[in-house]
Amino acid sequence: MDFDLPKDDDPRRLDVRAWFERHPNPTGRELFAAGYVVPHWPRPWGLDADTELQLIIDDEIKRAGLPAPSSVNPVAINNCAQSLLTHGTPEQQARFLPPALSYEEGWCMLFSEPSGGSDLGGLRTSAQREGDHYVVRGQKIWTSNAHTSKIGVLVARTDPTASKHAGLSQFLIDMDAPGVTVRPIQDMTGAAHEYNEVFLDDVRVPADRLLGKEGEGWRLSNLQLQTERAALSKPGAVWGQGPSARDLVKALIQTGHIDDPGVRDEAAQLYIEGELLRLLAYRALTDRMNATPSGPEAAVRKMLAAPHGQRLLDLAKRVQGQGGLVEGEEIFPLPNESRHLFDNWDYAFWFSPAVTLGVGTQEILKNVLGERLLGLPRDVDPTAKGPWIDTQRPELKPAN
Amino acid sequence: MNFALSDDHRMLRDSARAFLDEEVNLQPLLKRGATVEQVDYLGMWGKIAELGWPSLIVPEAYQGLGMSCLDLAMILQEMGRALLPCPISGALAGVWSILKGGSEAQKERLLPMAVTGDLKLALAVCDADGTCDGPASDARATADGDDWRLNGSKAFVVDAAAADMIVVAAENGGRRGLYLVDATAAGVEIELLRWRDTTRQLCNVRFANASAELIAADDAEIWPWIKDRLLLVLSAENAGGLQKVLEMSTEYAKQRMAFGRPIGANQAIKHGLAETFGLVECSNAAVLYAAWMLSEAQPSASLAATMAKAYTSDAYRKATHQNIQVFGAIGFTWEMTNHLYFKRARANAEMLGGTAELRSHVIDLLMREAA
Repeated sequence: MDFDLPKDDDPRRLDVRAWFERHPNPTGRELFAAGYVVPHWPRPWGLDADTELQLIIDDEIKRAGLPAPSSVNPVAINNCAQSLLTHGTPEQQARFLPPALSYEEGWCMLFSEPSGGSDLGGLRTSAQREGDHYVVRGQKIWTSNAHTSKIGVLVARTDPTASKHAGLSQFLIDMDAPGVTVRPIQDMTGAAHEYNEVFLDDVRVPADRLLGKEGEGWRLSNLQLQTERAALSKPGAVWGQGPSARDLVKALIQTGHIDDPGVRDEAAQLYIEGELLRLLAYRALTDRMNATPSGPEAAVRKMLAAPHGQRLLDLAKRVQGQGGLVEGEEIFPLPNESRHLFDNWDYAFWFSPAVTLGVGTQEILKNVLGERLLGLPRDVDPTAKGPWIDTQRPELKPAN
Repeated sequence: MNFALSDDHRMLRDSARAFLDEEVNLQPLLKRGATVEQVDYLGMWGKIAELGWPSLIVPEAYQGLGMSCLDLAMILQEMGRALLPCPISGALAGVWSILKGGSEAQKERLLPMAVTGDLKLALAVCDADGTCDGPASDARATADGDDWRLNGSKAFVVDAAAADMIVVAAENGGRRGLYLVDATAAGVEIELLRWRDTTRQLCNVRFANASAELIAADDAEIWPWIKDRLLLVLSAENAGGLQKVLEMSTEYAKQRMAFGRPIGANQAIKHGLAETFGLVECSNAAVLYAAWMLSEAQPSASLAATMAKAYTSDAYRKATHQNIQVFGAIGFTWEMTNHLYFKRARANAEMLGGTAELRSHVIDLLMREAA
């Protein structure tokens, strides 16, 4: 046990810092070539970096005023591209990884459907093999970055006669292929395009775009969601991308709100929780370094981090009183750091209801945790066994 | 940097757990009116002294094992898990007081006896109103030639009745100092409190011109150092007990049938226990972090210890209440252990400052850092 973080004069840190001094405005390709986009990946993609080196590189990217790679091309870097290392062909690796990791091709996840997001295994979009192509028909929803992405990671049903989870497969599809239509969803923040609907009408996908084998879609999707949960359980609000409890306490001290005893007590609770989440995130990195497999533990951290972020944004909003209700006015101070979309308290607050919905609702996470970590009895899913197609006949549909 | 427990730490923890599983039997306490006397409070002291637990934190120069707060935390968590009825908390507090406040001669005389278990110490620091930070004190010290005399009282003294000697925080000339009294000396009166947490002994102590030895004339620099360590002790106990009640609740939820299925299949219960799992994870992190900070004498050690006590106290209170709820009415009876954990959680939460007070202190520390 050793909680010491890499020091400011650590020689490895000095090396990284020197690189950023030589490359004050690095392109994605330069960052990728230096191994800084996915340092924890094996070479040639990354640097086989241990936890300390990863932290150093994270720090130095921030210090250089650059956005975290995981916020530039999140779906590729946080979730899906890693699957190509284990399940992709050499041709797929060579075709997809360099542009994804150089920020040249954005990725999006075509997972959730209008009929259900939590029950992902029940999805209806089909991919039917016709010669050397699959033909995809269906609709996806809640797709972030669909309009800016070149590549979509699609889960679709290749075998309707298999059970619901066994009949799924994954594909890497071109978002500009004929038949793909992206429509923005206006979410409650007022922003459009944070989420999108994606319509897939007879989209022809070459057979070599299948990731892994037919039927591996459920397993791949779960692995990708687990890595996403790990990535999204940093201590800041909004999936680790927004302001943190440290920022909140600083701002409350600066504005004098900390003198209110109620605010003071809540702020202390949030601060403590934030620090503990930080420790849990570091421990997760250590586990990776010690080659302990990542598992449902990521669900614990997301279960804690998501409502923690909501509560800290809630307090930040409440102390502003009526002033906090006026759109476009930011009256609460925030350190000047690159936080991607969530670089202001106001937007982060109005966005915050999404964080206990996305990437597994809070309720699903608690099921996962209770069942897989505590060993409590599983919820019964009457649609899990037998051919999926039979569960779609109206007379057999389970009562809601 | 490595946030995982070392193999040595795991071994220390596992061997402590194995010993306590074997030795601790809370059954006799599950009868109204029973006290720690019925569960071999003093006999257990002899057993843990044989294992060397009282010597863990004593430096090798005084025949101790010279281990760190992190090492100690491994054992403290297990003691909390087992609700070990034994006057170890008082003993640790007394040893730390001598270690930080005592002269070289006092350390050489007293600590080797504490190591073997022949000398049981306690620390009387709280006053009747629950405050413990001084410099005021309900006990006063006056010089009597080379000797000192104590008058007045101290409250909520852990393990005073079991102690051979008591370190007393008493006021003299506007400063609070530490003084050592013989627990059996004339003018020292120890009254057992009807403390709700029956796994532990708390006492009021009154002094009537009791003869005392000076340890340190001013504890302003000494007490905060001791207090941080005592906060760690309580936090570690909390985290260990918390883990245990989650296991109890989970086990019961898997076995107890209602409406044809285990009650743990219901999301109302499953989700509650999942949340408690989160509290366990955070509590363990808080304790290990504070223990490490104290071991390494890091500048923010005090902040870490305060945060750990505040967080684990709330978590433990919540989980022990949930534990009774999951068990249903049987969990509300004296014959079950559920209430022992519930009461330990409530007691620990109030000792050395309630959570609101500690959280306010966290903000004080952060504002001092920011200034």
